[in-house]
Amino acid sequence: MSARIGRLRGLCLRHVSSTRQTSPIQRRSLNQFISRVQQHDQPALEQRQFRLAVKDNIATVSPNSEEETPLTTTCGSNFLANYRSPFEATIVSQLRSRGALLVGKTNLDEFGMGSHSVHTAFGAVAQEGEHEQQAVKHSAGGSSGGSAVAVATGEADIALGTDTGGSVRLPAGYTGVVGFKPSYGMLSRYGVVPYANSLDTVGLLAKEVRPIAELILGGADKVTRGLWAEHDPLDPTSLSHGARRRCASQRDCYTGPLPKDPYPLKNLKFGLPLEYNITELSPSIRHSWSAAAAKLQSLGARLVPVSLPSTRHALSAYYVIAPAEASSNLAKYDGIRYGTRFTSPTESDAAISEGPEGREEEEEGILYARARTAGFGDEVKRRILLGAYTLSSAAMDNYFLKAQKVRRLVRRDFNRVFALPNPLLDKPERFELSELPETVGLEDKWGPTEVDFLLCPTAPTTAPRLDEVLSEEEKDPVSAYMNDVFTVPASLAGLPAISVPMRVEDKEGAGMAGLQLIGQYWDDARLLAVAETVADVVREEL
Amino acid sequence: MPRIPTVELSRYLLTGHIASPGCLRARAALPGKNTRVALGGAPLPSRQLQPRQHARYLTTETSFANPSATTSSPAAAAPFRKQLKEQAKALKKSGHKKKKSSDNQTVPGWELTVGIEIHAQLNTAHKLFSPATTSFNDPPNTHVAPFDLALPGSQPLFQPATLIPAVRAALALNCSIQPVSRFDRKHYFHWDQPSGYQITQFYEPFAKDGFITLYARDGIAAEDGEEIKVGIKQVQMEQDTAKTTAQPGDVQWLDFNRVGVPLIEIITLPEIHHPATAAALVRKVQMVLASVDACVSGLEEGGLRADVNVSVRRTDDPSGKLGTRTEIKNLSSFKAVEDAIIAERDRQIELLEEGGEVKGETRGWSLGSTETRRLRGKEGEVDYRYMPDPDLGPVVIGEDLVARLRETMGVLPDQEADQLMERYNLSAKDALSLMLLDGGARIQYFYNVLDSLEERLVADGQAVPEGAEHATLAANWCLHELGKLTDSASSSSCSDPDVLEGLAMTPLGESPLVPSSSLAAILHHLYSRTITAKVAKDLLWAVYRGEIPEGGTTSYIDTHGLWFKELPEEEYAKLADEVIQGEEKILGEFLRWKQGKMKAYPQGKLMFLVGKMMRGGPEGRVEASGAERVLRRRIEEVYLPELEKGE
Repeated sequence: MSARIGRLRGLCLRHVSSTRQTSPIQRRSLNQFISRVQQHDQPALEQRQFRLAVKDNIATVSPNSEEETPLTTTCGSNFLANYRSPFEATIVSQLRSRGALLVGKTNLDEFGMGSHSVHTAFGAVAQEGEHEQQAVKHSAGGSSGGSAVAVATGEADIALGTDTGGSVRLPAGYTGVVGFKPSYGMLSRYGVVPYANSLDTVGLLAKEVRPIAELILGGADKVTRGLWAEHDPLDPTSLSHGARRRCASQRDCYTGPLPKDPYPLKNLKFGLPLEYNITELSPSIRHSWSAAAAKLQSLGARLVPVSLPSTRHALSAYYVIAPAEASSNLAKYDGIRYGTRFTSPTESDAAISEGPEGREEEEEGILYARARTAGFGDEVKRRILLGAYTLSSAAMDNYFLKAQKVRRLVRRDFNRVFALPNPLLDKPERFELSELPETVGLEDKWGPTEVDFLLCPTAPTTAPRLDEVLSEEEKDPVSAYMNDVFTVPASLAGLPAISVPMRVEDKEGAGMAGLQLIGQYWDDARLLAVAETVADVVREEL
Repeated sequence: MPRIPTVELSRYLLTGHIASPGCLRARAALPGKNTRVALGGAPLPSRQLQPRQHARYLTTETSFANPSATTSSPAAAAPFRKQLKEQAKALKKSGHKKKKSSDNQTVPGWELTVGIEIHAQLNTAHKLFSPATTSFNDPPNTHVAPFDLALPGSQPLFQPATLIPAVRAALALNCSIQPVSRFDRKHYFHWDQPSGYQITQFYEPFAKDGFITLYARDGIAAEDGEEIKVGIKQVQMEQDTAKTTAQPGDVQWLDFNRVGVPLIEIITLPEIHHPATAAALVRKVQMVLASVDACVSGLEEGGLRADVNVSVRRTDDPSGKLGTRTEIKNLSSFKAVEDAIIAERDRQIELLEEGGEVKGETRGWSLGSTETRRLRGKEGEVDYRYMPDPDLGPVVIGEDLVARLRETMGVLPDQEADQLMERYNLSAKDALSLMLLDGGARIQYFYNVLDSLEERLVADGQAVPEGAEHATLAANWCLHELGKLTDSASSSSCSDPDVLEGLAMTPLGESPLVPSSSLAAILHHLYSRTITAKVAKDLLWAVYRGEIPEGGTTSYIDTHGLWFKELPEEEYAKLADEVIQGEEKILGEFLRWKQGKMKAYPQGKLMFLVGKMMRGGPEGRVEASGAERVLRRRIEEVYLPELEKGE
């Protein structure tokens, strides 16, 4: 009997995509979920349990018991609208073993490609905002926009996102929540559908820093192990146990749970990257950024200007490397082995819910082209073409290889400004003083000040209005790439970074934006500890 | 592109057919007794042969036990009989090459240049990037990990054990092993390539700068003289594709068991100038790979594939530049390699002599045809957009591993051929044939027979014979008498389904039709002269037809009364005396020899008389060697002294 109930319970699972009904939560059509586990299906939370929303490019199987129908893993794409993964992502298993109850799969830019969560087959994600006393929709940021909104609306305690060039930090900044991107190689990517493998990281979103820190570093109960210590043999880029221990031994705060008291800011050095003060930076954000710096200084921290000269090339390098890897990763989607095979261009909509069968009369030879034309959205196609071009034998040297060189320079910039050495290097890099830009002041005869963290905005502006985003996408689809300018460098260097909500005020009133802290490689523990303190400082009026 | 409904295909693939990681069916190798360690007993100096402990053996037992399994799918491996025939032909060709096709090795005024790419399936337990087991004849789509199907979110897991056969192969080809190599993605769309790219080693292969030496006995063209060295540019590791089986009605079936199976690609320098030498090179590479246990099966079994690049230029061309080359893909036999090169060379020369030009293109060859056919031209070429795989770190190969593999590599074919010729008195041709037949399994069978034979001799209370006589006997039977079985079987097999599979030799050197122990039992009796050669041949046929079960040889001889009851000495003598009557002329020859007027012993005359004895004596009781011995004694002890006295 119980087995029958279990099987029937699966029928209660409702997939937003296939039914397209509005529920009370979806009334204002924020589109943050692609599929949901029904509310009445969820038992009341027990101690140590928490509600988890998972970005829909992370593989899940049955949500909370084996008998339920597996959730789809759509990646926000028509191609995978009905795809159910036969295996679960390691990070989802790890969180479930720590008490996570799955509430749903969140909406995203298709395969993670976008900065506003509008390039999705399941309707643009939105957050509610106000404009001249009118309720309007604002961009939730992307590509983990659904996850950010799920946390902001209180539907999830923790949400999983993926951060390739800022896809966790940017939506966290826009929606006023905390978004954490760990060091590359810390959290397993097994089961995360790759966009650009060398940049992809799993990120966590929550309203506060503490729940994230407890998962990464281990809870106050000292029972659950911190995620930082867990190597995944299924992910070839997951750091080995030995490397984890070695890296952590050169870092603070890995020894136990986050202390209750605020992390002492005295003697901490924060760097303000000169190159991040760009013309596109909105005045209100610039103001809050410097106000936050002043406040931290008043609390005992040292704030010093630093120079990251490769920053201006970082965005270009990112938009060469990421599409190149994407064009390769997305070559597997052909509708043959899984996913939807679009047998006729006109039925692409119908094909989402119904399998294509009995279309023998189709012309031969265009199976792949037709499926890929109908399956991918415009932004994905744009990046595949971009990537295919930069990898072509004619363009490889001028684009892909150059971009990789820029990537090295970006990492070198970071290694120069951080006081801690990068544990991934065999020996510390040496820098010639003569190579330094003139704008950088010297601390002493050894060179400029070395800092503990970099402090900068997460994005140049606050969340734009959704209608503006959509019309801009029509006119100039590449303009949205600019939103990633502050988040991309840390991604290229594989560094940990966190966005905490910062209060901003402009002529339309008060709002939230993201303040980003970037740390040296594997300095995640101290970054989380300091971020909690900083978050408390900048959340209030500055 | 033909289509199969997705629903059907995904059901076919995904329902319970995805191997969970670590689900492996380890195949225990058989105990080491019948490995090549037994190279006649004494180990070779300095190089110990290693028992194959971790090797995976591809057996054809499934197809043998169930012949319908192979006949039902047209693309399955060709029947053994056909392959044997082809091999025999190739052998024959190589043996008679210098006489027959020497005219065709060169074209006056033109120089041919050939480079070869050989793909070989590595002998490993797991796929290159997934823990799924490798297999050969297993039911389709039973060894498939999520990564093999390119399921979203799956990642490659490099299996370090695949390096062992790869490094062995590269060492056997005299390559320098690179301490750091990397994997790259080669992009192209094809249904047999689920990820849309193949992982290979384009920028930094794991082995470079090797060479292979070919000798006259390997069947190189006479123009190349006694030996020739061909450079090997690089050896790289890469993934195999899925196996496509064509079905009626423009439908293709895919078997993902093969997808991701590790291959090595061996790329030679364009240093070959004669078609026969090209074929000899492929044959030798196959032997080398088999000898170091790097490769699962040979060209004819589908474990090896060769692509050749062919160009021609005028010998008086002052610029010395190579001509435009064409590539002929997927040659599946040694004969095809040679024939396709000849045909393509002649086509290019004809084209140039008519004032045309050779276009760089990819061409195909089908067995038995006389010309290559165009597959695709330059304009149809794919830009592979090579990119380093961002999920895979560099492969670091330590010097200790290389040193260890070098020490334990085993005996290379040249050494083995030398040993067969020196120790067992085989001709170069027989030695090479033995090593090459059944994709290297025949020589293994020979060692099995030899082991078993020596065991029997020891059990008789004899010491293992010092000389090579018993081994030469075994080799002759393994080669020629067994060959006769399959030759006759194949010519008369249409009505007899039981002999369809030839000897059905396994890579371990065991034949279910003629077990090595049965042949050894026959040879044991023959060598001990308890049966005659004729009876021995009859017994072999009886074994082959299944009339004698394994271990039943002796009792079969008992029940059929086939023991050789040799004439007693005095009856031999009597028979000899009868034969010598009236042959004074012949006796005169012997006398002249005895008196030193003639250098060579008149063996021919002796054998003529032996023949007479065989015919004159009672059937089945006269044995040639006995007759010869007694006859010779009688001549030398009785008749010659008489003659001398008479003079």
